[in-house]
Amino acid sequence: MSLDWSILWQFRDALLSGLLTTLWISAVGIIGSTLIGVSVGCLATVPSPLLRRITGAYVELLRNLPMIVKLFFLYFIAGLPAVASALLALSLHQSAYIADVTKAGIRSIARGQIDAALSLGHSWTQVFRYVLLPQVLRVVMPPMTTQYVAVVKNSAVVALISVQDLTFETQQINVETFRGFEAATATTVLYILIAMAVIGTMTWLQPLRFDRR
Amino acid sequence: MSSERVQTMLWWCGVALVCAFAAESAWHLEWAAVAPSWLFLLTALGRSWLLAVVAIGVGIVVAFPLAVLRVYGPAGVRHAAVTLIEAVRATPELMVIFWVYFTLPYLIGTQVSAWNAALGSLSVIAAAYLAEVIRAGLYSVPVGQIEAARSSGLNAYQVFRFIVLPQALRNMLPALIAQLVALFKTTSLVYAIGVMDFFRAVNVTKNAVFAPYALYLILGAGYFVSCFAITRVVRWFDPRYQLLE
Repeated sequence: MSLDWSILWQFRDALLSGLLTTLWISAVGIIGSTLIGVSVGCLATVPSPLLRRITGAYVELLRNLPMIVKLFFLYFIAGLPAVASALLALSLHQSAYIADVTKAGIRSIARGQIDAALSLGHSWTQVFRYVLLPQVLRVVMPPMTTQYVAVVKNSAVVALISVQDLTFETQQINVETFRGFEAATATTVLYILIAMAVIGTMTWLQPLRFDRR
Repeated sequence: MSSERVQTMLWWCGVALVCAFAAESAWHLEWAAVAPSWLFLLTALGRSWLLAVVAIGVGIVVAFPLAVLRVYGPAGVRHAAVTLIEAVRATPELMVIFWVYFTLPYLIGTQVSAWNAALGSLSVIAAAYLAEVIRAGLYSVPVGQIEAARSSGLNAYQVFRFIVLPQALRNMLPALIAQLVALFKTTSLVYAIGVMDFFRAVNVTKNAVFAPYALYLILGAGYFVSCFAITRVVRWFDPRYQLLE
């Protein structure tokens, strides 16, 4: 068969708007899942059996359901608007994983360090700012990168409830012109570039550890 | 009574309340409308399991040489393996499924059935992710052990077979089964190409009879129980996994 790459230029507006939709939905998803996930992860490390069980149940419940189930539930059953269900489903889905990453990061700091800092007379805020935060960030950054790339990848699923992201536009091009191959190639390259941009940004942020100079 | 005991009691009281409330609400759902579809839904759940198990099987068979090449291969082969694995891992799972279903026919010239496309794309996804799991397992064996084995006279094959492999397998087991959970959830995406998996079956039933809450309860329970069962198997295989979390 012959390939016709000019189709991409012909549909440049659709692809560009799809790219922008994917970008902002992923960005909001990353911020939302981080806010929820870090809060839940911090609560999970509080030495309280009640909090530990509640956060554990939250993580288990969300982690054992596919993203598409949450998405369809919010859209078709709860009746939220498409974009709102997309953002909420993305944030909730990844927050479970981010909570686990945060919990493991905080647990990786030896309890003795916190006790030592407290007994030296530092306040809780000082302990958090100068003992916990720099070390936790160092441990947590690489797995967080994986989670953020996962948010970008999961954002493709929102095309199924007609949010007009990159995947949706690819399907449109395929339906209208049967040039699915060219469109899928372009979209895949764009997704890989977004993933690389996320990894690049996180690597660039890596030295930012709030170490005390 | 200690605060610990009080909190644990509070938890179980809460659980009991939630369960009672959920059971009471579930009682009033539209079960009569759903009941005739039970076999259809159960078969579909079995089909999801079949997809996951076949994909993981094919995935392991492909992933093992891929990981070994990535770790031990000559430079050119190694880079090719890395590119292949990372390209699949950076592409959304849904796009991989579309790739195999919509664009593979352009390349090979014949139609691919949705079921075969689903099996193929899930196998590709499984292979790429499992290759990383296996690579991590191979790297988890300290280099000192390999050097010690080499200097005590074992050849490269013996080192791999008797020193690296047994330890790598043990170390990768939790991640391996965690990947099975992830893959089971990914099977729900074949909905997009029209395979009658559990997710599509529930949605088809939902369009046929009016019982959205009952059906989504079944949907959630089906996936939750399946994935939770796999997670429990991990813990059973490796109790230490609990510490890693």
